[in-house]
Amino acid sequence: MTGLAIVVLLSLGRHPATGRPRRNPDDARALATALALAATRSGSRVLAVHAGDPRAPVLRDYLGQGLDELTVLDMPSGSDPLPSLREHLVALSPDLLLTGQRAENGEASGLLPYLLAEALGMTLVPGVVGLDLQGDQGRFTQALPRGRRRQIEARLPLAATIPAGTAGLPLPSFAAARRGRIVSLPALASPDPHLVAIERQPWRQLPRPQPRRLKGSAIDRLKSMTGGGEAKGRLLVDPDPETAAAQILDRLGEIGLIRASHQSVTSRDTDGRTER
Amino acid sequence: MSRPRLDPRALRLARQVEGGGKRPRFALKADPPALHSRRRDPRLLRMRALVPGARRPRYDWKRDAASGAPSAVPAVDPVPANEPIRVESPAFWVLAVLDQSTGALDETDLQLLSVARRLAGDEGGVVALALADPVLATAGADRLAVWPASAVDPAAAEARAATVQALVESVKPRHVLCSDDPVAGGDIARRLAAKAGLRLVSAVNSLTADGRIGRRAGDETWLQPAPALMTIMPGSFAADEQALREARPLELPPIAFEAARLANIGLLPVDPESLPLDETDFIASAGNGVTDFAAFAEAAAALGATRAGSRVVCDAGLLPRDRQVGASGTVVTARCYLALGIAGAPQHLQGITGVRHVIAVNTDLHAEMIKRADLSIIADAQAVMPALARLARQRQEKP
Repeated sequence: MTGLAIVVLLSLGRHPATGRPRRNPDDARALATALALAATRSGSRVLAVHAGDPRAPVLRDYLGQGLDELTVLDMPSGSDPLPSLREHLVALSPDLLLTGQRAENGEASGLLPYLLAEALGMTLVPGVVGLDLQGDQGRFTQALPRGRRRQIEARLPLAATIPAGTAGLPLPSFAAARRGRIVSLPALASPDPHLVAIERQPWRQLPRPQPRRLKGSAIDRLKSMTGGGEAKGRLLVDPDPETAAAQILDRLGEIGLIRASHQSVTSRDTDGRTER
Repeated sequence: MSRPRLDPRALRLARQVEGGGKRPRFALKADPPALHSRRRDPRLLRMRALVPGARRPRYDWKRDAASGAPSAVPAVDPVPANEPIRVESPAFWVLAVLDQSTGALDETDLQLLSVARRLAGDEGGVVALALADPVLATAGADRLAVWPASAVDPAAAEARAATVQALVESVKPRHVLCSDDPVAGGDIARRLAAKAGLRLVSAVNSLTADGRIGRRAGDETWLQPAPALMTIMPGSFAADEQALREARPLELPPIAFEAARLANIGLLPVDPESLPLDETDFIASAGNGVTDFAAFAEAAAALGATRAGSRVVCDAGLLPRDRQVGASGTVVTARCYLALGIAGAPQHLQGITGVRHVIAVNTDLHAEMIKRADLSIIADAQAVMPALARLARQRQEKP
């Protein structure tokens, strides 16, 4: 088993409530994943890269997760990191590129991993919460909405975006944070041409959107908003328990939450992709 | 002199009311008020209703008083209600790429179509790229492109992105809209952006009156003209009601797509009890009417539902606090809510406003939950729950 070159991209986060700088939770999770993976394969290297200010104190917290060295492409904030990162990564030619799903500062479009994967000819797997490598074959667990998990297989070289999940930030150790080195490299800084023409206003909470209704009186609209009003569903008064249970199961089959029984084929099936 | 001269005689003649007596009569208030003036002028209305030429004054109140038109024509929609709006060659297209993650149109898809419709306005047309669904016509789609067989699987992200790219090249839409889900629509949008060199504008959360789009960046709102490719923040736009459209099938162009590099192994089984309430899709909830909690647990396990409870149940310590549904607990967005012995306090109903399907079992016919439910069963939950568990297990064993 040969060692892997794993590149992790780290960015500065921003606490959503206080606005204070912090580790980006997605990136911290990606770094933890990379370090865990490198520990299982001998000869593997974790190459962490940050594009921005090498003096940012938050970078020490990343080092505190057990990272020995962090490469920083020195550029002022607000510059486009893509050209320098692309150049740097092409020179490294990694087997695996791990990034967080989304930045917390700036545009935060989540596009950078895709552009880098395209430039490096890597297969990209988004939303990875678990990964298992056998040779050059990777098996990924993807987190889907509604708590579902999907498994995907792909071959190296691979790029994966990693969401923070609900597990919380990995704790940094103070000694490791002191021990780790930050290597600063001069980098090309160019402003992002797409972000020049944007008008910036202070953020304010938008009102909850209300649907535009085409018809109906004021009373209808009120009822539709609260969801109450007239009883509109099917009503069974004092059925025997078996009938009641059968009715409930038929309805669940129609909704597509359990497999519909053979008696009730009137259901709007969800083309067999129900998981329960 | 450029000003037109007034002709007092002609003015006087114009103000003369016909059908008076011997003496000529003039309406001094000749200038009609604005069409929807707040003030109602009964005298003017009366004068307008007067039928000219009759010996005795006759009034025709059915005449359109506001415009003085001769006969009342009820205002009709130019398009009959059941006839879809047809768009033949619009000024531009808007492409909406739908997720349909449950197999049918869900709230996110309807919001996406709603934004597409607003961007299209009266001049543009909306193309939906989706699984075929008859509801799409009522959701505002003018054209419907159906995912090809290689891209029906939601995990086939590469094939989906290639399909969108081919469709973009053939239809040339002004805007392409995707959902913001990082493993579904957002993934496709980013793949397309990387492949086609488009700039993605993500998590759009507002649309201004002058057609610009807004999104949040930290403590700023960034405003810009609507771009070619964007993802829509879920919940930021309402799913408007739409007039009926055609949803005419659109032939897909040939898709240039090399072999897929991602292989879908399948979904992993998930223990419903391990999911937080706001994430789960199916909740079985117990209220004050449930006393047999062993049967409740058994029924929930047989159905594969996540257990939850009302405030009373959680206060009594019968379920943990993080399983409480309602205003002081969790506001849930599950697809289905099975309410066992829950009367439906307003605070509890607040917690389930986002639920589409509610099934209620309760002994009280007049409970609020019965009114909220699609299927209501007036029975004792203690009797129904064991039957439900038994029947569910039976159906699992021999479908």
